[in-house]
Amino acid sequence: MANAQRNYFELFGLEPNFFVDQKDLSSKLKRLLQSAHPDRHAQGGSQQQMLAMQKTTRLNDAFAVLKHPVKRAQYLLQIEKDIDTTKDHTVNDPEFLMQQLELREELDNLTQQKDASVLMDFADKIETMAEEQETALGELFKQDDWDLEALKVSIYKLQFLHKTLHDIELAEDKILD
Amino acid sequence: MALLQISEPGQSTEPHKHKLAAGIDLGTTNSLIATVRSGRAETLADADGKHTVPSVVHYVDSETIEVGHKAKQQQAIEPGNVISSIKRLMGRGLADMDKIKEFSANQLVESDTGMPGVVLENGIEKNPVEVSSDILRVLADRAEETLGGELGGVVITVPAYFDEAQRQATKDAAQLAGLKVLRLLNEPTAAAVAYGLDTGSEGIHAIYDLGGGTFDISILRLQKGVFEVLATGGDSALGGDDFDRAIAQYLVEQANVDSGDRRAHQLAMIKARDIKEALTDTDTVEVNFLEWNGQMNRDQVEEIIGPIVDKTLLSCRRTLKDAGVKVDEVDKVVMVGGSTRVPLVREKVEKHFKVPPLTDIDPDKVVAIGAAIQANVLIGNKSDDDMLLLDVIPLSLGVETMGGLAEKIIPRNTPIPIAKAQEFTTFKDGQTAMAIHVVQGERELVEDCRSLARFELRGIPPMVAGAARIKVTYQVDADGLLQVLAEETTSGVKADITVKPSYGLSDDQITNMLQSSFSHAEGDMEARMLREQKVEAARVIEAVTAALNENGKELLTEQEYAAIQSSLEQLNQTSQGDSVEAIEKAIEIVEKNSNEFASRRMDASIAKALVGHEVDEI
Repeated sequence: MANAQRNYFELFGLEPNFFVDQKDLSSKLKRLLQSAHPDRHAQGGSQQQMLAMQKTTRLNDAFAVLKHPVKRAQYLLQIEKDIDTTKDHTVNDPEFLMQQLELREELDNLTQQKDASVLMDFADKIETMAEEQETALGELFKQDDWDLEALKVSIYKLQFLHKTLHDIELAEDKILD
Repeated sequence: MALLQISEPGQSTEPHKHKLAAGIDLGTTNSLIATVRSGRAETLADADGKHTVPSVVHYVDSETIEVGHKAKQQQAIEPGNVISSIKRLMGRGLADMDKIKEFSANQLVESDTGMPGVVLENGIEKNPVEVSSDILRVLADRAEETLGGELGGVVITVPAYFDEAQRQATKDAAQLAGLKVLRLLNEPTAAAVAYGLDTGSEGIHAIYDLGGGTFDISILRLQKGVFEVLATGGDSALGGDDFDRAIAQYLVEQANVDSGDRRAHQLAMIKARDIKEALTDTDTVEVNFLEWNGQMNRDQVEEIIGPIVDKTLLSCRRTLKDAGVKVDEVDKVVMVGGSTRVPLVREKVEKHFKVPPLTDIDPDKVVAIGAAIQANVLIGNKSDDDMLLLDVIPLSLGVETMGGLAEKIIPRNTPIPIAKAQEFTTFKDGQTAMAIHVVQGERELVEDCRSLARFELRGIPPMVAGAARIKVTYQVDADGLLQVLAEETTSGVKADITVKPSYGLSDDQITNMLQSSFSHAEGDMEARMLREQKVEAARVIEAVTAALNENGKELLTEQEYAAIQSSLEQLNQTSQGDSVEAIEKAIEIVEKNSNEFASRRMDASIAKALVGHEVDEI
């Protein structure tokens, strides 16, 4: 009875859903790793060790996807609707595009000031925007009939904010070096 | 190798046999070996009651070597035939040598390992793997004498901040010393294990580890026996030796020593260490160095070494940020490494983390003790314990892309084991090969990162530029070692490489070195291999048969079941014969046929872990 590979949600005993209790997820990961981790199979043969590494790799991977709102949303659209939202974005929202430009410009200016605390304040601001965007995305996922176009745009917006947060971190790293 | 024998987590398949295992702290200045005896982990002493072994080797002549205290004594007498601080050279190339201050350029030559070889005054040349292996052997001998048997396996600690090449070199050294490595364990993680298990401590821990030659900072969450590394950072070329060097520099200046006088510089280093240690307990110390007689007080020394300590705190800040932990969320700070005895280090660390640092366990021994505990678990001696270590990769792994840029494939502080894939394409029409350059580090430019390996994917079918889909997969195992696979997905052309970095030994080189160090008659070797293969075959047959009986009917189609059974019969027959290769091959076939079965058994067992607990909790 060959069983198809379980999806990331199933691995954690969850229904595919945008809303994931992070604390529960993290405690489940630890329980699963208690049994799957290569250290638990150190006395097994090479095949067993190889399998343990593969299973643990998949669990770590699944956890990283389910933990992150953008990756989780993209994964959900992929397994439920077979839509790949990881590439090729076109967003026709002038207001958002304008905002994007402004935020990038602001980041460039702040980076040149070489002051980590200024960057941290900027990060706080983006963080709040990301939280709001995540809530909005959640609302879209709550609907019975998913508005796929709206979901794609919403995911892209959230992704942009996370990318900005990441770039702020890189800029901070440079200042700390 | 046997097929998946599902046993309860942590339980050995042979529960009655206590196997010998040890934890080794292979340090820049000192090394230690520890083991668990009657439930307690302790470091092992030599006949004189000394626990630490200075990581110093004296090559007397081509036959005789001295390791440890004796070698250290020789250092002052004939420094030209003594090697110390070899850890600084592990996994490094000659090009890195300008950053490494212990060895003068005229001592170092290119060796066939890619790492620098050290040439001694008596003409003997040693590469870093060989020197480390000599230290490991002495430690292992001590354990085997004390415990009265051969070691079944060891856990060797490495600085968390060690890169791929440095880890691989360490593993090679163990292999050369004839030791089975159960796991390479990050030093701060080992320290956390020792503290966590000894005191039942929980919460967020910062492990500040300042050794002789390396600095590590790790942030861990300890919870119900799970040691989860949140982030790790540091500097693999910064340590207490730098304190000595800075003080020595001051002495050399005071005494107007000629910069070419190596012996005087070495003497200054020894004096500097004495001064540093004396000032741990007193405020002023009299110094007589060559022509110069004077006094040094603690304030003076602190001014000299202050900037070095500040550098470590900068790493702490960055690592906390990576861990997503604020300073005031840190519950405990654990001090590891002899250099944390320096009062200024303790003061500055306390000020930074706003909690008094813990030093309950001897900072010199804590790493070896943690490693021994982990070794004991991995060898299968512990059965009632849920201890689990979840570690991360310390440095980002990437690939070179157009324009000499490094694109990250696995970012630093990703939990291991992990695999990540990235797609690339060809940029020229009809391009049939693609070079893949594997790099490690945080910087944007490839030239600022460490080059780990280069290999080529050949045989890509000619297509227009941009049509080929080349998937590059990085797999990092639980030791933090990397394997890279490249595949053109439209045609299935593959190339893979276990990253034996540019600085490492090939398997052939290790085999050669091993053979030249043992004098086994070839016939003995063959007979032994046949015996081992037969034992292995019997083990495989037993394990697979047991697995089939347990849930083969449930998890397999009839066809799959029959295929496994027939390969088992084949193996049974072959193993009556005398051909090592034939038995090996038959085992391989059984493993191949039963791999999917083993995988499903493991899935079932993992899923049970989740369900079982949920029932428990209700």
